Amino acid sequence: MKKLLAIILAATMLLGFAACGTEKPQEIQEGFQPKLSAETECKINIAGSYSNFEALEAEFDRFNEFYPNVELSYTKIDDYNNAIATVLEGNDAPNIFFSFSWMTGNAAYDSVFGRMENLADEALGLDLACIRPGLLSHDADGRVLMVPIFSTSYGMLINNDLFEKEGLAVPKTLQELMDVCAAFREKGYKNPMMGYSADASAPLMNTIAYPIFAGTLAEHPEMVARANACDPAAGEYMRPALEALSQLIEKKCVDLKECEKISDNYTEVILRFFEGDVPMMICTGDTVSGTGKRESQSEAFTAHPFTYTFAPVPMTDKGGYFLDSPSIQFSVNSACNDLDMTNEFMRFLLTKTELNEMASVKRLITPTTDLSFDKVYAPVADVAPELIVSPSELGIEDTLAVQIRLASFKVGTGEMTIDEAMAKYGTLE
Amino acid sequence: MKRTGIIFINVLIMVAILATVSVYIAFNDKITRQRQTEHFENTNIAMEHVTENYLEGEQRICDVWAQYINSRNMTMTEAAAFIRVSHVLANTSAHLVYLDSKKGVSTRTHLGDADDYAVSYTSLDLLNDTSWISDIGQSINISRAYTNPMNGEQSIAFCNKITLRDPADGSARAAVLLRVMPLSELEDKWVFPQEEFENAELTLIDFDGDYIIKSKTFKNSNFFEFYKSYNPTDPAILDALHTKLTSSTGSITLLNSRGEKMLLAYTPIAESVEWSLLSLIPEADLRVEMQNWPLIGFISSGLLLLFIIDLLFIQRFNKKLRVAAQAAESASKAKTDFLSTMSHDIRTPMNAIIGLTAIAQKNLDDTEATGENLRKIALAGNHLLTLINDILDISKVESGKLSLSPVTFSIVETVENLVNLSKPMVKEKNIDFNFRTNRIEKEYLYTDPLRLNQIYINILSNAVKYTEPGGNVNVDMLEEESPVDGCVRLTYRVADNGIGMSPEFMKRLYQPFTRQTDSRVNRIQGTGLGLAITKQMVDLMGGTIDCQSEQGKGTTFTVVIDIPVADRQRDDMQLDPIDVLVVDDDEVMLQTAADTLGSLGAATECATSGAEALEKIAARHGEGRDYGLVILDWKMPDMDGIETVRRIRSEIDETLPILLISAYDRTEVEDEAKKAGANGFINKPLFRSTLYDKINQLLGKEKRSVEAEEDYSDLAGVHVLVAEDNDINWEVIQATLGMFGITADRAENGRVCVDMIKTAEKGRYTLIFMDVQMPEMNGLDATKTIRKLDDPWAASIPIIAMTADAFSENIAECLAAGMDGHIAKPVDVKLVLKEIRKITERNDQT
Repeated sequence: MKKLLAIILAATMLLGFAACGTEKPQEIQEGFQPKLSAETECKINIAGSYSNFEALEAEFDRFNEFYPNVELSYTKIDDYNNAIATVLEGNDAPNIFFSFSWMTGNAAYDSVFGRMENLADEALGLDLACIRPGLLSHDADGRVLMVPIFSTSYGMLINNDLFEKEGLAVPKTLQELMDVCAAFREKGYKNPMMGYSADASAPLMNTIAYPIFAGTLAEHPEMVARANACDPAAGEYMRPALEALSQLIEKKCVDLKECEKISDNYTEVILRFFEGDVPMMICTGDTVSGTGKRESQSEAFTAHPFTYTFAPVPMTDKGGYFLDSPSIQFSVNSACNDLDMTNEFMRFLLTKTELNEMASVKRLITPTTDLSFDKVYAPVADVAPELIVSPSELGIEDTLAVQIRLASFKVGTGEMTIDEAMAKYGTLE
Repeated sequence: MKRTGIIFINVLIMVAILATVSVYIAFNDKITRQRQTEHFENTNIAMEHVTENYLEGEQRICDVWAQYINSRNMTMTEAAAFIRVSHVLANTSAHLVYLDSKKGVSTRTHLGDADDYAVSYTSLDLLNDTSWISDIGQSINISRAYTNPMNGEQSIAFCNKITLRDPADGSARAAVLLRVMPLSELEDKWVFPQEEFENAELTLIDFDGDYIIKSKTFKNSNFFEFYKSYNPTDPAILDALHTKLTSSTGSITLLNSRGEKMLLAYTPIAESVEWSLLSLIPEADLRVEMQNWPLIGFISSGLLLLFIIDLLFIQRFNKKLRVAAQAAESASKAKTDFLSTMSHDIRTPMNAIIGLTAIAQKNLDDTEATGENLRKIALAGNHLLTLINDILDISKVESGKLSLSPVTFSIVETVENLVNLSKPMVKEKNIDFNFRTNRIEKEYLYTDPLRLNQIYINILSNAVKYTEPGGNVNVDMLEEESPVDGCVRLTYRVADNGIGMSPEFMKRLYQPFTRQTDSRVNRIQGTGLGLAITKQMVDLMGGTIDCQSEQGKGTTFTVVIDIPVADRQRDDMQLDPIDVLVVDDDEVMLQTAADTLGSLGAATECATSGAEALEKIAARHGEGRDYGLVILDWKMPDMDGIETVRRIRSEIDETLPILLISAYDRTEVEDEAKKAGANGFINKPLFRSTLYDKINQLLGKEKRSVEAEEDYSDLAGVHVLVAEDNDINWEVIQATLGMFGITADRAENGRVCVDMIKTAEKGRYTLIFMDVQMPEMNGLDATKTIRKLDDPWAASIPIIAMTADAFSENIAECLAAGMDGHIAKPVDVKLVLKEIRKITERNDQT
């Protein structure tokens, strides 16, 4: 018996030794097959505007399971938008860098675009099909120079527990929204909806108005080019957006004075929402990405946690427009060192598994076709197809976005009337 | 102690040793680890010194520039020109930035534009608050890592506040001088110096935990955020960690993003800088205990091996002990049984001797019967002697030194002895016993009759012993031609319907002290030596022994031996022509008797019952051709032998010679038989010679014996000295010798013997018969003393041991003491005479 036990123990030990360190995550093994030598040694640097990018750094660890000698790093570039062109020319030129849709057409970024690798090149083997088509931009030559890593949208954070507590349903239409706001007010909630409104950079007014404007243009795509060109004629198409915004303010769904107390459009917005007395907090997906980390920073939330989701603001009778926009995008520096391994990392990253994993960590909307995987963004997946608007697909450029942002802010604050704002379309500053 | 106990103690010792070694190793590992940790911390401190010196050096350059600029009331353009002149490092630059506009000039152009020296910090928060910049020479004023707006490189800047003259109106404007260095420059310098820490990483953090230099393992942009992400913590722990890292030197353990344990050594860099230098290394690299695993493994393997060997040795040793104990127990039991049963085996012939002696005393007037009884007593006595010899010879059997003493003997007498010895038990158990001989033509054979007798008796007595009362034992003896020249093949087969033997017992049938385990066997006394001795003897005689047995049905032993025929045989035994009627209900017996009588020249007829015999005798009588002799079996169904005799005598013929065959003791029926008219008796089996002698005797023919009495008359007058302390033994030997005219003097012990031989005149004694165990001086010492005498005759006189010490080693002792021969008591007269003759013949020759 003892001998048998000694043999079993020895065999178990040998099997244990043999098994040590050989197992890799099943998912990764099935999803990614390395093409280069696992012994390759090199450094890959990714430059961006995020102060922190732990979601990406987690991917570094996962990539290192295949290529342990590849040293990956993320560098935050100060004054990214102005510095990236210089950075790409300098000694610290990164292998991969952030790129944004608004850079398109801006001459200041011509050199940046000039360095971008065509990621649609079949030789690279990137699985671009895993990304929602509306998020991918093709240039005139059909090239894909930027691939979205995250997407974002405009909408509102909803305190589901509060709705449940007050016996109210989350609104699906504009009328329901008005009714819910009235009901909350009756129940003593002075601010049924809040948001950042302190300056014109990214105010709640834009968050409400822009999707409606984009949705209106989607119904009149022939006007997009003129709107991009700041044709005053396009101002008329802002009317539905600006009227809806005014209505919300007039009906006291939003108290701008209270909103102005929120000092920034990110942390303060989140912390104010976590106070637990705001049923709906107007914000973008980028703001939602900060909620996860700040749950523990909010004493109120820690004391009384609640469930929350993100959904488009229902500003039409059919519901809210889901503006499906890229958040950050990656471009590959075609002149970088170790381009092969850089492309290998992109091939590793551009899969549903890895992109969803990153989106989950970062709490941003995944750019993949699998929208419903994150419960915070689950309502987004329920948006009717006709309400989904892709600015990239529609051809919306940054100039257009700036005009509606300024118009909505000025109308919202009462600086301009709706008609004045519409009339000054293209000249608003 | 039981085996489990020994195993438990062994395991306990092993565990104790391993535990001690492990504790010792763990203690050593702890010490070593502490040393390594201290070493790692010290290396970090050394790096801090290097870093501080480096930073101070770089800051000093910046200080010198600032002092010079301030002292010269320079414009920004002049200051830039001055720095360009004094600046020698290609990868560094200086920025002069007005604090109010956050704009200024760089000593190097903007990347991509050879004419653009303008630099702007408006989009950077670096100069929004300049309180961290101390006065010149007061401290190291170093910025966080930031992106150099002129070339996009991640850089740090050594700063000083300066005052520049506004060229527009000559007013003084506050500005900042930044001596900008790429981080890569620092990273290249910050290489961990120790080879043994090849996986160590260096990181610089500022007071808030933001990385100045970030190595690959660190994540996030802030160390504390990184720590928080991968290590269990709370705000209090984080505050304590912050205090620790920014104000003291030491080390902590933390988990990296992969969940691996890392050792982090920290130490603040120059107080004014408020940076901390962090050195990180995987704890696995410090796991010195791993180095000791081979030692533990070796010790464990050694102990395990020792344990297994120990266990195997103990098992083997125990097995041997068990076997030895079993053997000892078995031997002890066998010998106990042997001793207890010896009594029986000795009493059997003793019973015959005493019984026959009583019969002889009762029939003193009957000379023939008395003579017969005395003859049987002698046979039984010989058997008793043989039995004792067997006991003594058991050592010889076990050592394989059993030897034969061949002499000429009568197989007839051997068989008679067999039958006589068996008769009492056969009778007692009421066994149907039949001893049949066939074609025994050579009566005198030449081999060791005692051993042969022993073989036959052993087998026969076993058959009788192990046959239930009322059973039957049949013995057949057959003489055949032998393939060996000068021999006859004697087949002796004993078949019984007794208890039989199991196949398992059959395998060890001939092992000494072996008896079958059977309740019926246990009731029967036996030495367990018989078959072992028998087998040895059969082998020694070159014969074979075969046993066929079935439990519950019986056993058949068959011994086949080729025995040399003696030179001397009886003359050709031929009867005068005679018609003989043999009557027996046993047809085999009838056939063998007819064959034997036929070989003697008799015309034989057979009858299987008394009635048939009467008819035949009457018929012959009527024809006037009476039988010359009728041989009748005593025991027959319907009409037994005595009744048949009685009716022959009364109804047919009163003079017809009749012999009555008896297989048993005839004394109880002898009177009745004689009264009925029987003329004589003859015992089964019917040997040729026995029949010949008995018929001749009955018919008044002279008995002729071929065996001449030995003539020992030549020994008359021989004078010997007998050293014997026992009076009776002395009397017996003196009388025995006297029967052959040999005279003897007695010495009562060895001392007297020596004295007598010393004083005897030369040639007085032919030899000395020397007892061994005697008072004062034993026979061995006496012999040795005699052999040392000066008188050559006395010293060389033949000395024959005559002793009850009959073992081979006793004989060897005697010979070693100087004796010339050995005769065991009770003495065989013939042997004594042979020894004397041998010596006299030798003397005659010399």
